Amino acid sequence: MGIATDTTTPADGVPAVTVLPEGHHHRHISRMLILPGVVLLLLLVLFPVVMEVYISLTTWTPTSGSQWYLAYRDWTWFSNYWDGLTSPSFLHALLRTVVITIAATGIEFLLGFGLALLFLEKFLGRQVLTVLFLVPMMIVPAVSGFVFYLLLQTNGPVNYILTALLPGTVELQWLTNPSLAPISVTLVDIWQWTPLMFLILLAGLMAVPEDQIQAADILGASWYQKLRHVVMPIVKPIILIALIIRGMEAFKIFDAAWLLTQGGPGEVSSTISVKLYREAFQNSQWSYVAALAIVVMIIVSVAASQAIKPLEQRQGGAS
Amino acid sequence: MKALVTAARVALISLVLVIFLFPVYWTVTMAFKPADEWTPTSGKIYWLPDQPTLDNFRRIFGGTPGGSASFLVSTPINATDSIVNSLITATFGSLLALVVGTFTAYGISRYRAGGNMLGFSVLQLRMFPPIAVIIPVLFLWTYLHLFDTRLGLILIYGAVTFPFVVWLMKSFFDEVPREISEAAIVDGCTQFGAFWKSVLPLVKGGLATTALFVFILNWSDFLIALVLAGNKIVTAPVFLSQINSAATGQEFGSRAALGVILITPPLLLSILIQKHLVRGLTFGAIKR
Repeated sequence: MGIATDTTTPADGVPAVTVLPEGHHHRHISRMLILPGVVLLLLLVLFPVVMEVYISLTTWTPTSGSQWYLAYRDWTWFSNYWDGLTSPSFLHALLRTVVITIAATGIEFLLGFGLALLFLEKFLGRQVLTVLFLVPMMIVPAVSGFVFYLLLQTNGPVNYILTALLPGTVELQWLTNPSLAPISVTLVDIWQWTPLMFLILLAGLMAVPEDQIQAADILGASWYQKLRHVVMPIVKPIILIALIIRGMEAFKIFDAAWLLTQGGPGEVSSTISVKLYREAFQNSQWSYVAALAIVVMIIVSVAASQAIKPLEQRQGGAS
Repeated sequence: MKALVTAARVALISLVLVIFLFPVYWTVTMAFKPADEWTPTSGKIYWLPDQPTLDNFRRIFGGTPGGSASFLVSTPINATDSIVNSLITATFGSLLALVVGTFTAYGISRYRAGGNMLGFSVLQLRMFPPIAVIIPVLFLWTYLHLFDTRLGLILIYGAVTFPFVVWLMKSFFDEVPREISEAAIVDGCTQFGAFWKSVLPLVKGGLATTALFVFILNWSDFLIALVLAGNKIVTAPVFLSQINSAATGQEFGSRAALGVILITPPLLLSILIQKHLVRGLTFGAIKR
């Protein structure tokens, strides 16, 4: 737009160095900037989703021999959706994923918060120890799935250590016992992502001004009162962000769950992602999977639009 | 008294750290164990490799472990191709996301392009379980002959990590005062010139951080490579999950060896971007 900026001369009564006028050139450049991004989204997201809706209304599968765009020949309206929403197996997977998400996020928060409190005061080696806590979240999930598979074998090191610590012989079947398998899946998530929670919360706690704590000390505030009235008001928005982001990611859990138990035994540890994967690639129920995927996307979108609000405020406020 | 409290604090932290690092320790030691130490056959658990060996590494690079009878005869495997595939797809996928995402981020940050909707929908993308979105992509890729190709993976990696780039770079651009680009324009730069010559150099550090961060994400992917490739083009994480042999079943040592190779780049890179790790993983919402 070049010299066009000069329309905001003092003669117009507008200070020279303020926001540029929202002119037509302006809109032009902003369109040019976001164009590649919008194309990428349309091509790789919008089009596939439209396609998914289309296929979900049919009984088409790749094995039926015809191309996907001819799927209308097997039109069934909403029967896939009906099957999904009345299928106990799908509803259980959905419920299970919600439970795992809440449990994992909650435990990660408690552990992370406890750790962050331990790190709050300066001590020798704090920097090094903080960096070492980064390690689990940098491990490629395919590797964490694999190593927990080793650790949690019935004759593996975890049971061995538990036997050493507890009375009696511990022979827990972490991966094959129906009530333990979902717990094992949750454990991997907790191991991998507690460090993130810890880092976020530590950053939040460090932001609490020391003089406020000292002032509370002088006023004779107890440990709990300080936490409740001095620390919490400052840290609360950060806690909220940490919980939302972690919850969002935990809901998608696949890699570790798949490598650990493949959703088994039976389906007792299959999360929503594992369930969809199995239906698609083991049962070839493509149109059914498409319908389930749409249902999941609608649920996630509704949850997301609520969850994102604090994030957006934070972004807006910080800029 | 104070010293005692600190000592107790460090002891507690160390204990938790030992628990958290144990799986990593187990992966690394497993990579150097000979086959008869992989699992406790006679009830003995090998906390350290009794007879440390490089056989596992030789095995995943096509070698037939010499001398050691512990390896039963099995077809040679070679992870080189899969590592190369991972490197290429993660690198170019990240570049694609970086280029497209940086422009978008600047558009949103500087010009409020797309109103509030664009930023929002970009972030929302991140919330969908990938498997829910990827199945139609699979149909599309098969139709376009992009299934099981590097280009196909590059495109999808670019799209999947695009939201991270947008939100991270937006948070960096937001920190650059508007006056910088306005001054450049007054000096005769075009809008794009102002962006290229005066704004971009200021966010160099942020750009590098974002690049490394996105690379780590793409390098770590398992699900996408499992669904959209896996016959001709296999990435390292998928290869790892498939190392088996008829004779010994799952080859724990060889898997661990590849695992060690896989986890090394993210660990090293994360040290470089340590300062911005939280910012990255929270989409720029928390700046530390």
